[in-house]
Amino acid sequence: MTASPLKPKRLAAIGMDQRQRNALRVLFASQCQNRFVLVEEESSEICILDLDVFGGERLWQEFRQRHSQRPLILVSLKPRTIDNELTLFVQKPIPVARLIDAIEQQVLRLDPNSSVLTECPPAPDTPVETDPCIVPDTQPTVGKPAAVTRRVANLMSETQERAFVGTAPDIDPQDPRQLARVYYNPDHYLQGHIQQALNLAVRYHKNVSVEGPWPAMDLMIDSRTLLIDANERQIRPFCTVPDTTLEVPLRVHDHHHPDSGRQGYPVTAFLWQLALWASRGRLPAGTSLTQPIYLRHWPNFTRLQVTPHALAIAALWAKQPRSLIDTARGLQIPQRYVFAFYSAAKALQLAGETRRAVDTLIAPAAVRRSARRGVLIRLLDHLRGHRKTP
Amino acid sequence: MSECKIIFTGPVGAGKTSAIRTISDIEPISTDELATDMTRNKKPGTTVALDYGLIKLQADERIHLYGTPGQERFDFMWEILTQGGIGLILLISNQRPDPFQDMHFFIEAFKSFLHENNLVIGVTQMDLNDHPSIADYHLQLESSGYKIPVFEVDARNRRDVGLLVEALLFTLDPGLDE
Repeated sequence: MTASPLKPKRLAAIGMDQRQRNALRVLFASQCQNRFVLVEEESSEICILDLDVFGGERLWQEFRQRHSQRPLILVSLKPRTIDNELTLFVQKPIPVARLIDAIEQQVLRLDPNSSVLTECPPAPDTPVETDPCIVPDTQPTVGKPAAVTRRVANLMSETQERAFVGTAPDIDPQDPRQLARVYYNPDHYLQGHIQQALNLAVRYHKNVSVEGPWPAMDLMIDSRTLLIDANERQIRPFCTVPDTTLEVPLRVHDHHHPDSGRQGYPVTAFLWQLALWASRGRLPAGTSLTQPIYLRHWPNFTRLQVTPHALAIAALWAKQPRSLIDTARGLQIPQRYVFAFYSAAKALQLAGETRRAVDTLIAPAAVRRSARRGVLIRLLDHLRGHRKTP
Repeated sequence: MSECKIIFTGPVGAGKTSAIRTISDIEPISTDELATDMTRNKKPGTTVALDYGLIKLQADERIHLYGTPGQERFDFMWEILTQGGIGLILLISNQRPDPFQDMHFFIEAFKSFLHENNLVIGVTQMDLNDHPSIADYHLQLESSGYKIPVFEVDARNRRDVGLLVEALLFTLDPGLDE
């Protein structure tokens, strides 16, 4: 013999609009196994009244005139003391458990012998408010393709990757000859001149002209943009070839160029890109390979060139400083990706070597592996596959 | 069947519905209706119960995308939605009167979820108002002990929203590229 399932308790929501009613329906369905159902006031057993609605106090008084014996749950942002045994109060923000507890208390008041832990309810004999907007948990798919093949370094094309990260193999940090190949001097590239211009512009809060063999460049301090008389392709040769003898005058000025028609680049994104072009997987001269690296904060990746593994490196450094060599080892990636990211982040003063003794005393923790790594990887592949789609 | 859930939250008009639409593999279910109350001037349609989208990975593997209701009074819905979630994506509109207040409000509201799960923040409508800057957000978060991804995003742009989700995944497991 099977137990006869109990009918769901009928609740009405007073002073609540359609959105609030929908929220209650979702609550009843997802958290209460449909033990409660939303109905109109006339056929309800318990009511919930929102005092914060316009005229809420009046609604409450009128409700009590109509239904002096009906259990009521009042909700409001302002705390209340209720002097009525049939009325409970729940202060907003409403925790799920608190609201359910209040409803169950009122159910017990209706019928002290009742149990709110019922079997799956039958269809109610009272017309139930229904709404087509209640969300099902699955929907048929339309249009877009399923997961795609895994590609790790797919945030940029191979050509872009060569331009920004280079192709250098890993080095042995103990070998001085290999070590010498891994450094570059930003001051010998356009990167260094733009960095100096930015420092100057910030210090004096003035615009700065960067004069040289390249097309005219003006750093506009208020908008933090670089106005350039050229496109990216025309600029690149000046960014990748070092010049150790070039003298670059930086001229501070107050001129504005509203009608110049020149291309404007956000200076941080431009500097980031210059650093990648100049570095090509190398490091600013003097950078320690073994000193832990800190990340001041995550770069604004949506407005920057995202090199392969950059998000992984940022995630790692955001948790704990870690040396460049150890980062490559921990993530099992070629060193050039770590070096390229560090060079770009360093150019924006987002990363640097730690100076605290404690950072070198504490060995970095192993890279944490999520218990859900499999599904996370498949989601990552899915997102990257879609990103290739225009 | 393997199921995961990612929660999108934030104030009215921050772009939750658009962000879900941008990366969902199904036509998202937006339980919108014409706003009739305090949100009337914020957005022509305001989320009723929640937004729902889906990413299908394999035949039996799905990522559910849930958007919380835009009104603060539905906070108990948030608690329901976050159960089983792998992370929270908070969208903040720079067009709102006090974006920092919004940010702190939502972080506080999801405090218990964030004890166990990760958070990333997308700042929308920076093209209309570039203050506060992303660096300003980091300063605010630093004072609360958070060092998390904060990106400028256009909720309609797949690259932007995708990168935000990617960042969330890497905060959960930096070794995903191994």
